Amino acid sequence: MYQSESVIRNHYNNINDWLDQMTSKVIFEKNAEAETHFRNIGITFSTNNETARERIIPFDLIPRIFTYTEWLRLERGVIQRAKALNAFLADIYNQGEIIKANIIPKEIIYKKKSFEPSMFGFSPPRDIYSPIIGIDLVRTGPNDYFVLEDNCRTPSGVSYMLENREIMMRMFPDLFHNNRVTPIDDYPTRLLQTLMSLAPIKCENPEPVCVLLTPGPLNSAYYEHSFLSDQMGIEMVESTDLFVEGKYLYMKTVDGPRRVDVVYRRIDDDFLDPLCFNPQSVIGIPGIMDVYRTGGVNICSAPGAGIADDKAIYIYVPEMIKFYLGEQPILDNVETWNCEKEQELKYVLDNINELVVKEVDGSGGYGMLIGPKSSKSSIDEFKTKLSTNPKGYIAQPLLDLSFSPTLIKNEVKGRRVDLRPFCLIGEQAQLSSGGLTRVAMNEGSFVVNSSQGGGVKDTWVLAE
Amino acid sequence: MLSRTAEYLYWISRYMERAETTARLLDVGYRMSLFPNPSGYNNEWESVLSAAGAIEGYKNKYDTIEQKNVEDYLFFDESNPSSVYNCILNARNNALVVRTSFTPESWLAINKTYQEILNLKEKKFIKSDLPDLTEWTIEQVNLFRGSLSSLLRNDGYNFLFLGLFIERADNSARLLDVKYFVLLPKPQYVGGNIDNMQWSILLRSLSSFRAFRWAYDGNITATKIADFLVLNNNCPRSLSFCIQNIVKHLTNLTCSPEKVGRIYNNLKDLNTKIQEEKIETIVEYGLHQFVTQFIRKISSVDNEIHKEFFN
Repeated sequence: MYQSESVIRNHYNNINDWLDQMTSKVIFEKNAEAETHFRNIGITFSTNNETARERIIPFDLIPRIFTYTEWLRLERGVIQRAKALNAFLADIYNQGEIIKANIIPKEIIYKKKSFEPSMFGFSPPRDIYSPIIGIDLVRTGPNDYFVLEDNCRTPSGVSYMLENREIMMRMFPDLFHNNRVTPIDDYPTRLLQTLMSLAPIKCENPEPVCVLLTPGPLNSAYYEHSFLSDQMGIEMVESTDLFVEGKYLYMKTVDGPRRVDVVYRRIDDDFLDPLCFNPQSVIGIPGIMDVYRTGGVNICSAPGAGIADDKAIYIYVPEMIKFYLGEQPILDNVETWNCEKEQELKYVLDNINELVVKEVDGSGGYGMLIGPKSSKSSIDEFKTKLSTNPKGYIAQPLLDLSFSPTLIKNEVKGRRVDLRPFCLIGEQAQLSSGGLTRVAMNEGSFVVNSSQGGGVKDTWVLAE
Repeated sequence: MLSRTAEYLYWISRYMERAETTARLLDVGYRMSLFPNPSGYNNEWESVLSAAGAIEGYKNKYDTIEQKNVEDYLFFDESNPSSVYNCILNARNNALVVRTSFTPESWLAINKTYQEILNLKEKKFIKSDLPDLTEWTIEQVNLFRGSLSSLLRNDGYNFLFLGLFIERADNSARLLDVKYFVLLPKPQYVGGNIDNMQWSILLRSLSSFRAFRWAYDGNITATKIADFLVLNNNCPRSLSFCIQNIVKHLTNLTCSPEKVGRIYNNLKDLNTKIQEEKIETIVEYGLHQFVTQFIRKISSVDNEIHKEFFN
């Protein structure tokens, strides 16, 4: 919000005035109101440390604001990246041009668990493997945005983006009268259009039947699954509701079987089809991959799309953009050391005090080391891990994430934030006018993950 | 509509109805405990446990029958499948899955109830709180039922109400039966004042005490009450009213006419019989036998609904 020590950036002036006139009593009440609202609608999550009561994510009342021009650049950059990632998937599951051109070594692709051999030689509708991509961005200076990671499988968090806006409009309607905030509530409609535009070749229905496939109520993103299917007006199914007969996929309804054209799946590859993937899995739809490969149904995202957001592949995304699109990357990668390479591993071990070390397959802010913030013993522990399993890790510099004003015990404090906007690619490519801003609620913390005490904010993109 | 969605909707209203019945039974027990306990009658809390079908489970857990334990067992206990807590928990877990199939208000009504019972359970209760708890439960169930009035009148609506009336038919029949065979006093008391007092408590447990007064003149008699609770089509808890509504919501289903037809064929004799029957004939035949047959029939209809629609 601040340009330098105490100069407020222009587009935050309105918010600053608004904050000034709120008493701490009002802030307290509004916080309580937001919490009750989130509990009542059931927007809760569970973490690895399971307790009896569901938790809600702390919600901060102060919105994060982007100007129209700031956003324009992000929009172009994210869409560019999402296109390149899909082109990459189409390439490696077919000709493998990028490997032949010696840009990416083939070992790091074909040996990955997230590479799916059964996808080889098959092209999904419109060559779109990952129609919904969440790109995590951080800002370190006025115009310095970096991509922290790509999420090409089933990125979650969009329900928070929408619900955060709902609660803000409900509690502070005046704010929206006085600021020209671009609406985001058409996201579910656009998502449905995207899915419908990806109908399989054998679809006979002018309005393809889409379903959302969820692992069930125990999944931490279950609220989002029901929220999205409700907003799109499509059935939310579990794998037991689906079955394969002949060359098609059906859902069990009270009228008998109904054919399904597009499955927006929110379950992992491993649990899609026990005949193809994990034979031990009791969930999954036997035979769905056969129907998929013969054009009877589309599965979004495609099995094997996860290879594109692998942390070892991430390093090559700027190269992909140049290779497939012939463009210069609009958004930069964070400088990353691949510990698999001997020289880079040596650098990481020598400079570990200054670096962030991440597990290649880790997520949720678990299994990482923040060098400058860690004790000697945990640094030593990571050094051992790195030496014994170098290809399991990457390292990045500790980025000075931008601060955003955040209410902590009724006082405005600076807290670090990141941003996940959601990109849709079907018949057309488009970016949500906003995203999920996550905020590290603890003072000095760099970790914004909700499982580690992170909160969320409404994210505004101002109209032109 | 997904078969699973239909099944979950059906069970949501069964659970909510059951939560209300359990709460009303607790209320009856509480009321009875305030009256002097005449000799020849069973302990009122034991009767309440039997009526709730929870006597066996209770005895596995406690050695003696005490008000505090009965209240806890019927209201909060997680090991009692019919406790108000479990009914609300199950209704809420089902609602979580099918929240897209009914209105946001219905989801809110159930989820708020769930959030509040978690708070109540954390704080537990003190003895004098029981009327508050039962009143709260009935209020919450009414809130849920009220929210249903804005639903689309589609198959989901009909499955919700099928569940409600199947559960209510079963509950009413069991309460009626319990009055005869668990609350049953020694023969010399039949028809006496104490007996009538217990009948009136039964009416209260079915939220029909005042309704009965309006529907029948004069003294409360066993025959009048039986007529009211079995055959009276104006009483929303009578067996005939429940059957009528089961038939109505069944035949309103637009999916699979042949499935509806099969279930209806099994039900139509009972419906015709109960509409034409005289209470004197039933009493002569034996109310207990009649009610037992009725419960069996309802359970077979429930099985058929599961078989035809939910598999």
